[in-house]
Parts: sequence; C-alpha cells; structure tokens
Amino acid sequence: MLVLLFILFAGLAIGCAIAVVAQRNPLYCAISLIGVFVSLACLYVMLAAPFIAAVQVIVYAGAIMVLVVFVIMLLNVEQEERRRSRLGFLVPVAVVLAAILIAEATFIIWFVDRSPVKPLSNVSDTGLTSSIGSALFTKYLLPFEITSILLLMAIVGAMTLARRIKEIPPGGAVVPGAQVLPLHMFDPTIALDDTRAVAAHGSNEVAEVMGVPDDHDPTKRD
Amino acid sequence: MDWATILDIVLKFVAITIAFTVVLLIVAYTVLAERRVLAFIQGRLGPNRVGYGGMLQPFADLLKFILKEDIVPDKSTRFIYFLAPVIATMAALMTMIVYPFGPETYIPFIGTIPLSIARFDVALLYVLGVTSVGVYGIMLAGWSSNNKYSLMGGLRSSAQMISYELALGLSLIGVILLAGTLDLQKIVEMQSSWHGFRWFIFLQPLGFVIYLIAAIAETNRVPFDLPEAETELVAGFHTEYSAMKFALFFLAEYINMFTVSMLATTLFLGGWNVPFAEDLFGRGTFLFGLVGVIGFLLKVIFFLFLYIWLRGTLPRFRFDQLMNFGWKFLLPVALLNIFLTATLVILLT
Repeated sequence: MLVLLFILFAGLAIGCAIAVVAQRNPLYCAISLIGVFVSLACLYVMLAAPFIAAVQVIVYAGAIMVLVVFVIMLLNVEQEERRRSRLGFLVPVAVVLAAILIAEATFIIWFVDRSPVKPLSNVSDTGLTSSIGSALFTKYLLPFEITSILLLMAIVGAMTLARRIKEIPPGGAVVPGAQVLPLHMFDPTIALDDTRAVAAHGSNEVAEVMGVPDDHDPTKRD
Repeated sequence: MDWATILDIVLKFVAITIAFTVVLLIVAYTVLAERRVLAFIQGRLGPNRVGYGGMLQPFADLLKFILKEDIVPDKSTRFIYFLAPVIATMAALMTMIVYPFGPETYIPFIGTIPLSIARFDVALLYVLGVTSVGVYGIMLAGWSSNNKYSLMGGLRSSAQMISYELALGLSLIGVILLAGTLDLQKIVEMQSSWHGFRWFIFLQPLGFVIYLIAAIAETNRVPFDLPEAETELVAGFHTEYSAMKFALFFLAEYINMFTVSMLATTLFLGGWNVPFAEDLFGRGTFLFGLVGVIGFLLKVIFFLFLYIWLRGTLPRFRFDQLMNFGWKFLLPVALLNIFLTATLVILLT
C-alpha cells in the first residue's frame, strides 16, 4: 500500500519535473513546478515528517511560486520558440553523464541495501512539530537566528535595489506606478533630444528633481 | 485488510459525503440569506417568491447556472482557463476535513466516534497551506482570461490575499502559544472549562480582532472587495467566466467564508463547547454530541451573519489604503500580540 502511494507521488513529481523543463509556455512550467512541490510534500508525509510537508506547501508552493507566477505575469514572458539546435555534440556527452549518474545511484542503493545498519521505522518522533520546535530553540538556536538575519538582509537589499532612480534599459519594463521621465531632467548636461528614460518612484522624487514644492497629499483625493 | 480497517474507510467516506453535502447546502442557503439580509438592511425584501419565503431560490439559481450558455474567450489559454476555478474550489473544500464538528459521541450501532473527518498533528498548518494554494485559482483566472481588467483584478486580489495571509497566520500564533499544540481537536478541548469563559476570545481579544479583519480580507469580502467590485474592474478576475465556471468561483468564495468562520469558531469561540451542556448531559452521550454540533453550527452561522452585516454597512477600501493597512498596521499589531501573549504565558506559568 505504501509502495503504491510512493510510486504515485514519485511518478507525479518526476512527470511534473520533466514538464517544467519541456514546456514552452512559461506559466505551464510554473504550474508544473507547483505540482512538483505538492508531490514532494506528500512524500514528506509518507516519511513521517508532517511539519516539513505543511511548511513546504506554505513556503514553496504558497509563497515562492506565487512570486514566480507574479513575475511571469507582469513581465509578460513570451512562449519559447523552437530553435535550431546548435549544440549537437553535447548530446552524447549528456547520455554518458546520465549513465554515470544512474550507475552511481544504483550502486548507492545496492550498497545501503546490503549494509547491516537497520533503517529507522516509519513511526518516529523526529518529525513532530514539538520535536522540531524544541530542537530549533535549544540545539540549533544559533543557525536559526543567523538564518533570520540573512532573510532580513535579503529583504532590505531588495528594497534598496528597487528604490534607486535608474535608467531604464532598452526594451525594459517598468513597475506599474513608477513615473517615466527624460534623462535630461536629472542630468542637465545630457542633450535634450536624447530619448533615454529614467524611472522615478513617486511624485516626491520628481518634485525634488524639478525643484517644485511637493504638495501632493496622498491621503486626500485629487 | 481486516474488517476494522474496511469499516474505518467506509466510515470516512460516509463522513466526507455528509460533510460535503452539508457544506454545499449551507453555502447555498448563505447566498440566499445574504440576499435577504442585505435587502432588509437596505429597506427592501429580497427574493421571496420561489418557495416559501424564497427557500427554493438556491435551486432555481443552480438550474439557471447549469442551463446557461458557456462562453469561453477565444484567445484565452485554454488549459489554465479551465484549471483556475477547479483550483479555487478544491482548495476551498480541502480544508473541511480537519474541523471538529462535535465531541466524541456514542452513536448507536457504530460506537464511540470523534465527530471529525481527520485528525493529525499539524492541522492548523495544513489549513494555512491549503488557503495559500487557493490564491492560484484567482491569479490564474485573471491572467488566462486574456483581458486587461481581469489581469488587474487578479493581480490586485492575489496581492491582497498574500499580504493578509501573513497577518492571519501571525494572529493565530497567539492561540497556538496558549494551547501549546497545532491539533484543532485539542485546542477545542482546552476551551472546555470555566463554563465558557475559557474560550480563547476572552484570553486573546486582540488576536481575535486581527484574525477577523485578516479573514475578511482573505475572502475578498467588503470592505476589502475592491478586486471584484462591480463598479471597479467590471467583475475583476471572474469577468470572462460564465455559467458553471462562474458558479464554481462564487461557490469557492462562499465556501472560503464558511471555512474561515469555522476556523474562528474552533479557535476563538470554543468549537463545539456549549456553556452548561456538560452538567446537563454528561460527556460522551449522544445528546451531548448533538448539542455540541448544534452549538458549533449556530456559532458558524453567527459569523456568516457578521459577514453579511458588514457587507451591508461598510464602504470599501481603496487598494492603496488596503495594502497600507495590511502591511503597516495589521502586521505590527499582530507581532505585538504575539509578544504580549508570550510574555504573559511565561510570567503566569
């Protein structure tokens, strides 16, 4: 019974993973990746780790992939076209490397099967929420706190990078709500007929550059 | 596979069928109740022609939805267009299995059974995870309709939902700190003493208010329903959906309302605990179970009435006001609630 479930979820995960790589529409790839994550969550449940399964769905499928789908939708990423394959010599290399990988995996499985150490049973205490919680706050406290500082650094870094006034590259997209202005407004030495553009975030930046008083009060209706 | 396992599986299927039917009926009558209650608030009568007082109106609506012409936009992405309402409804229905509808009761011919479909260690996290996946239904619906109003509505709605999911999750941490477990049945059992004064709404008033506001925003209801308001983006993400697919979205929204009300009842209003039922009936008897289930349903209906009441009373937020409120006010207040609760729990134990 467990073997049947394992084959089902593992097959689903592998199928969705192949679909991620083989699909041409990027949104289908994103949805297949969500399928991979949910199948992995089911596999975690079968390995007696319900907390990890729930957190996998919440964090990966529910937050990270939402971000990825947002990006695909906002940037309007197009379908890939079939291109003439120019790297024909790499196909035998790929086959050889895949054969080596499969040989390694088979060797590991055969070796573990033969070893005298018995694996833990499926019912164990390590996967329960209380065990993970107590381990996180006693034995692994330092990595936990440092990881949270790392995440904070990522958030602050993203906000800083997004706030600068910078030139829009040709063919680049602008976040809805930003103001697009000629570069001459920010650097008077640039000629007036230079059509490069700059994105500014907010009317206060624009007012500061143009030297006019900023009396746009966002809490009052225009 | 012995008879006990087979009986167990059959019982689970029967329980799922009963829960599914009851949920659909309650949701159908919630739609009718909303139309009538909203009408009374607004000084008119609402639908009262079909059946006595309008009681058959949901079935008339269902018949209309089934017989309506199904229009599919030509340039839409077909697979995702069909998948989106499925994801929305599935995520709404999947949370039903963890709620305890009643205590362990003795039902004649079967024995003592707990009145819930499944019981596992991480029930509350499971509910949060499944509602996170429900966001995809709306996002994919908005994008796959190939309509810029739908896309804007879908993006706004999903941005709103993921912002308020944070405040929702954080407001529940106070309850988890008090209860010490993520298992919903244990949380309900912990609220059984002091004749109703141990319900977590009295111990966590701030958490309850934050949860209620975040829940209303999660389900895209007034005052947070800008993404699907009729006067704004036509109909938001479900503009291009007609007949049965629109009915599925509609259903998903009301089932979400129902789910969120059930979670509020379980966590804050004591679930199936009715104040003096234990003294009158004794634990484990059939009458105690029946009173518990009826009490649970009455509390959930109170929350649904609260939703309808708010819809008739409050104007809606503008989208930037909504996002400001969610990130700059509700999230810090939820963190403050966790801090206060943790401090009090440590000081008092």
